[in-house]
Amino acid sequence: MSDGVATERRAPGVLGAAVPRKEDDRLLQGDGRFTDDVEPARSLHMAVGRCPFPHARVESIDVAPAVAMPGVHGVFTGVDVAARTEPISVLRPVPGAVHLPFYALAQEVCVFEGQPVVSVIADSRQLAEDAVEAIWIDYEPLDHVTDTLAALEPGAPVLHPRQMDDNLLVANPQHRGDAEKALQGAAAVVEGRFHIGRVSPLPMEPRAIVAEWRPGARELTAHVSTQVPHLVRMQLAESLRLDEGDVRVVTGDVGGGFGLKLGLYPEELLACLHAIDARRPVKWTEDRLEHFRASTHGRESVHEYRVGADAEGNFVAMTDRYTTDLGGQNSPFGSAQLSSIVFSGPYRVEDGEVERRVALTNKTPIGAYRGYGQPEVDLAREVLIDRLARKLEIDPLEIRMRNLLTAEELPWRNAAGAVYDSGDYPRCLQMVADAIDYEGLRAAGRGPGADGRYRGIGFTAFVERTGYASAKFLAKRGSRFGAHESVTLRANRSGGIDLFTGVSTFGQSNETAFAQVCAEVHGIDFDAIRVHAGDTRATPLNTGAFASRTLIAGAGAVRDAALMLRDKTLRIAAGRLEVDVDELEIAGDAVVARADPARRVSLVDVHTAAIVGQGLPEGEEPGLESTAHFEPEDAAYAYGSAAAVVAVDAETGEFEIERFVLAHDSGRIVNPKAVEGQVRGALAQGFGAALTEELRYEADSGQLVNGTMLDYFVPTASDMPRVELLHTEVPSPVTPFGVRGVGETGTIPPGAAVANAICDALAEFDVEISSLPITPESVWRAIRKAGNGGDGLEG
Amino acid sequence: MDEAIEITVTVNGTVHREAVEPRMHAADFLRRVLGLTGTHVGCEQGVCGMCTVLLDGEAVKGCLLLAPQLDGHEVRTVESLAEGGEPAPLQQAFKEAHGLQCGFCTPGMLMTATALKESGRRLDREEIREEMSGVLCRCTGYEGIVNAVDAVINGGARTVAAEAGEEER
Amino acid sequence: MKPAPFEYLRPESVAEAVATLDLYGGMARVLAGGQSLVPMLGMRLMKPSAVVDINGLAEELGRIETRGSETTIGALVRYSDAETSPVISERLPLLTTAIRHIGDRQVRNRGTLGGAVAQSDPTGEVALVALTLGATIVVVGPAGEREVPAEEFFVGSYANVLAAEEMITGLRFGVVPARCAFFERGRKHNDFAVLSLAIAATPEPDGTWHDVRVGMGGVNDRPVLARATMARLEGARWDGATLAEAAGLALEDADPPDDVRASAEYREHLLPIHLRRVLAAMAKEAEHG
Repeated sequence: MSDGVATERRAPGVLGAAVPRKEDDRLLQGDGRFTDDVEPARSLHMAVGRCPFPHARVESIDVAPAVAMPGVHGVFTGVDVAARTEPISVLRPVPGAVHLPFYALAQEVCVFEGQPVVSVIADSRQLAEDAVEAIWIDYEPLDHVTDTLAALEPGAPVLHPRQMDDNLLVANPQHRGDAEKALQGAAAVVEGRFHIGRVSPLPMEPRAIVAEWRPGARELTAHVSTQVPHLVRMQLAESLRLDEGDVRVVTGDVGGGFGLKLGLYPEELLACLHAIDARRPVKWTEDRLEHFRASTHGRESVHEYRVGADAEGNFVAMTDRYTTDLGGQNSPFGSAQLSSIVFSGPYRVEDGEVERRVALTNKTPIGAYRGYGQPEVDLAREVLIDRLARKLEIDPLEIRMRNLLTAEELPWRNAAGAVYDSGDYPRCLQMVADAIDYEGLRAAGRGPGADGRYRGIGFTAFVERTGYASAKFLAKRGSRFGAHESVTLRANRSGGIDLFTGVSTFGQSNETAFAQVCAEVHGIDFDAIRVHAGDTRATPLNTGAFASRTLIAGAGAVRDAALMLRDKTLRIAAGRLEVDVDELEIAGDAVVARADPARRVSLVDVHTAAIVGQGLPEGEEPGLESTAHFEPEDAAYAYGSAAAVVAVDAETGEFEIERFVLAHDSGRIVNPKAVEGQVRGALAQGFGAALTEELRYEADSGQLVNGTMLDYFVPTASDMPRVELLHTEVPSPVTPFGVRGVGETGTIPPGAAVANAICDALAEFDVEISSLPITPESVWRAIRKAGNGGDGLEG
Repeated sequence: MDEAIEITVTVNGTVHREAVEPRMHAADFLRRVLGLTGTHVGCEQGVCGMCTVLLDGEAVKGCLLLAPQLDGHEVRTVESLAEGGEPAPLQQAFKEAHGLQCGFCTPGMLMTATALKESGRRLDREEIREEMSGVLCRCTGYEGIVNAVDAVINGGARTVAAEAGEEER
Repeated sequence: MKPAPFEYLRPESVAEAVATLDLYGGMARVLAGGQSLVPMLGMRLMKPSAVVDINGLAEELGRIETRGSETTIGALVRYSDAETSPVISERLPLLTTAIRHIGDRQVRNRGTLGGAVAQSDPTGEVALVALTLGATIVVVGPAGEREVPAEEFFVGSYANVLAAEEMITGLRFGVVPARCAFFERGRKHNDFAVLSLAIAATPEPDGTWHDVRVGMGGVNDRPVLARATMARLEGARWDGATLAEAAGLALEDADPPDDVRASAEYREHLLPIHLRRVLAAMAKEAEHG
């Protein structure tokens, strides 16, 4: 059906056009409705008291001084929470992992700095914070461990001794062929250990909730800033021991998510519990100090990677044994799971092994973050490929070209079982090489140039999994959501269509893209479609927006619903016009006869007829509404290549990214401006994590040392390197219209491309980079450590 | 201690007389007391710039200003930009240049750019980036924002190629 | 992140402000630009009983005045105003350049020079320039006015000699050397400095340099002068060997911190390299006119 639709369309090509976004007008005028903008009359405000230690036993809590304060309306401790709620459930469990109960307030022992211990509601946030300060909590600090690998050493303090004997939550090995044997027979093998720093997804809007409870109606309404309103509704119902029907989650505009707003957090549960007790609305908006400690972090992992090749540089095997840092608790999504799936990248590798280990540490829980393991493994693999190229004295572009899967070889099943659907991987790599004039630059030499700096070029090629393989795949892993998306279309009497989706709006341009698909398939004017997103009372039960899956699944649901709506619209019109259905089409605001456009009936009339049930053809039921659920047949693999050109000051380690070119393929593009925005935005986060951002814990105290906006280095407009974008558009055979996801692409290449460019610039000194972020200081240290003549570079 | 302070402040052309708590910052005052929720709060640490408003015509961070300090001053917020429902040229430019995604930083960006435009300065793209660097955006990578501001203050969008040429000269 | 309660006071004169500070005996804080104070209140790192807002005192504190070779900048002069002041760019170009490295436009529109000095951030640009150019800090308290040389004013990380009942009224600069340079490296655009350098000196026609002042930020618990460097450069021709030696001597006055921005070791590594380069650029520029 998918391809047929595109040719059948009558609307003038709204799919693929850079139409202005539906979201923009309200957001530009300050009329967005973010959760903190909601404040019902008589709202109370919540503040949360948090553990200041990385690991501590709560000896006693004295809430009496807070309870006695004027303006304070309620205080909870862990005892209340244990008695009245269930632990927060994990939405995407790790296969084989033991269940670690995660209560909204700490029970006996806190396992990370910032873990909620008490909550207070008061007349104002100020008063609530005063009350939290007045509560006396006696802690007994316990031994802590914050280093990912140290947590797995014998003798490390065990975080969850009731459930586990050590801090290894689980190890998930996968393999195909015999990688060890292949490596033994290889002409060259390179291996390395790569540390990827811990970062914050850092949406500009912190988390927030406003909760209201009407006991007589038995109805909890929770305005929540989330990417997954329907999943939060399920989790709230479970934890509060309510029926799902008792809970309504409303998500208006969301100020960025990036994976951080996936699933229920303790504070949201607490606000609801307070609202139930107080019988007044309770509001909590996370402040930035809390955000750095209590909202999930991302990325932190250690990859031990190996690549082997024959003498011609053909890869014979790749292995990756990696450890992700989970932090102190298993958040609803937990640490990254995609490194395994794409570990061998876009290359022809038959024999491979990958093992994912998950370590618990006394740090803030890790959750999903845009990329979810893909940027991490890209660094390890691509840096090693460059080392291998140097070892074999093969050009880094050439070695990649030799090993990239070609268009003819796809679809290809990689060693982890992932099926790459289609594409032309070498073409993207060649495009970036041409764009930077690789041969010309290479001929100009590495320098040092007139400015005293060395110049280097770095490449990376990657695939990106977008969407999920199938509900079957998710079921095997115990995931509590499906691979489908669901949309309801409802005609209205103004001749328009109301489109209802459980996908909340947090910058993905989903309202625009959904309306584009709807207009394209149905024929109605784009402007006549109104998108209503994120209210669980109105929208069909769906999955939610994550894993670059919104459009992959959503486009199919919109398409199918639009076809149903269109068919009925045409039938009704056919009756009224006394024309055969096949001769009609929807053109903007009316149904018209193709042969005689003067024969027409307006959508106002058709919709009204259906809605009031008057004037319908014989046998036609009243109403004009359709709901479709669509599951794509498989995940689609986006892909691309990037090239970075850097200038390195070998004396100081300071470097500058002079060029950065990315060529990518996101399949059929629904809105080119939205796609470019997604790629550029993800690149900004990719550069942040590659160059400046890192949450640092001091080993001795276990404290987060840079948990403020002042000390966490988010790139500003002046920090962004100039980026050149190139696209190809190979449709995916496994998705509607051939779309691929695009949300995470940009996060993947910056680290590897920049690391390779710096090492290339300093190649004659054997400088190696094996960690993110790459800072001037880390480059200087790498130069000092370099085996061969690092000293010669200085002075 | 902590007694409410009477202030008179003109916001978007309307004079307001309100009693405010000293420990309320200006962004909270605009949002919670006046209901002007277009001004957002992102960090309360003076870094993210979400709360940028114009104080007597100059861009300032609303979270770093105590509400009593507004007394006798004039404030403009994002709600003032569109006139008679018609978007201002800057708003139109942001829309055309895809200068927003989630929209949370947009009011701060718009107010910073409004002050820049009203200053009458003509700036190259590096200078625009520098002037806009007090508002963080996590969605766009800034390109669309810089394009929009460039278009409005210099009267026409330029391409990346033009920017490259500018850097070289 | 909301402040603890405090009383908000708005004196109508400097005298009244000082009397108020005196009355609260150390439990009041002066609110000038508020760019550092207000977040600290929000994080409850400071819980003063009263906040004394001096923003209404622009008549007394908001002027840039010249008297002969002397330039006095009122404590309430905001960065943006100083940045665009023709008087400052003509008389104190080092300050104009340095201010462009401070924060962002919004912060510069509110932040004040007096507030910057009172904050005494070890990486603060205004403090570094004041120190380098030998400015005095004009301070007023219950006992009247006093002038404290910048070299004596900063006594540690975020620490200075200002008494609780005193406030800064201005910064006073005398004649400054003919040429200057300002350099800064941070982890991101206009972030707190990993290393900052402020240099002022006068080249003579014979090729020697005089009145050499070299200030360093980010490499100690306060902005400091590189005294050994200054001594080596004073009266000397700035050839390559001299500059290399002089730049190395800067480490004598450095005792850098280890923090999230950079290690002490790295700051020590960067200091002589960048100092040498900045000095060399000044020497080259002087040669070419």
